[in-house]
Amino acid sequence: MSFRRRIRPSRGGGYEVRLSAEERTLLTVLPAHLVSLLEDVGETAPGDLPDALRRLLPPAYTTDPDAERAYVSMTRQDLVEHHRESLETMSVTAKATWLDDEQLVAWLAALNDLRLALGSMLGVTEDELEPPMGDAHRAEWIAYMYLGGLQSEVIDILELTLPDPVRGADDLVPEDHWGEPPGGLRWDGTPMPRDP
Amino acid sequence: MTGTSIGSTAAPTEVERPETHEVAAPELPWLVIVWNDPINLMSYVTYVFQKLFGYSRGKAHKLMLDVHYKGRAVVSSGPKERAELDVARLHQHGLWATMERSG
Repeated sequence: MSFRRRIRPSRGGGYEVRLSAEERTLLTVLPAHLVSLLEDVGETAPGDLPDALRRLLPPAYTTDPDAERAYVSMTRQDLVEHHRESLETMSVTAKATWLDDEQLVAWLAALNDLRLALGSMLGVTEDELEPPMGDAHRAEWIAYMYLGGLQSEVIDILELTLPDPVRGADDLVPEDHWGEPPGGLRWDGTPMPRDP
Repeated sequence: MTGTSIGSTAAPTEVERPETHEVAAPELPWLVIVWNDPINLMSYVTYVFQKLFGYSRGKAHKLMLDVHYKGRAVVSSGPKERAELDVARLHQHGLWATMERSG
């Protein structure tokens, strides 16, 4: 079965984008909406953020509130700006038929951000591969899955552009650091208290 | 404490050591941990590990599988400032990363 790629390298450099008008509208509207949600987050602690933003602005320290506050104070502005730049790039280039390398990298980041926001809102779990029947958020589920398919295509393209591995880097960290699967951990890596 | 440190070649002298545990704590490296989540694509996590840390595809893939099947994996380690930088870069890429002191 042949599958027509929606994004593919262009002969003269950059990437051709073939998307329907509906897809382009989605890729204009969704990132713009997420940008608006990111306004005014300030230095709100990760645990106090709305579901849609929780995964975009996660904690670095789960057991040391003082260190976490310092981390947020040091990094939050840059992190929000990073998300905003990618999302705005996607929103303004969503109607383009050609993207340069930098824009496609921004699309990858924006697609991932959108999936994190939608997936968190929908409460996605490892097992759910399709929207629950009759779910009130069926449109969001379909958007979530659509974005995943498009993101997979972009990854397939961009992984070919990765630089060669750094010599010796593989030896710096052992695989299987703990040896055994850690017990009693939730997918979000619990020890973090919900209400510090 | 183990190992030698700069200045350890000074002649040994009888020094009155204060009875406190604080000064005895060695500077342990920090571990950067990536946690499993149901949203990030496996291919994306592998891509990010290669991009940020210069790992080979095979190494990045194995670390991703550790994250997926064991719930978490240490993806880098080092001094606190370095670990914080790595965590921030992983956060910019949407991965769920935290840091903790080794040991």
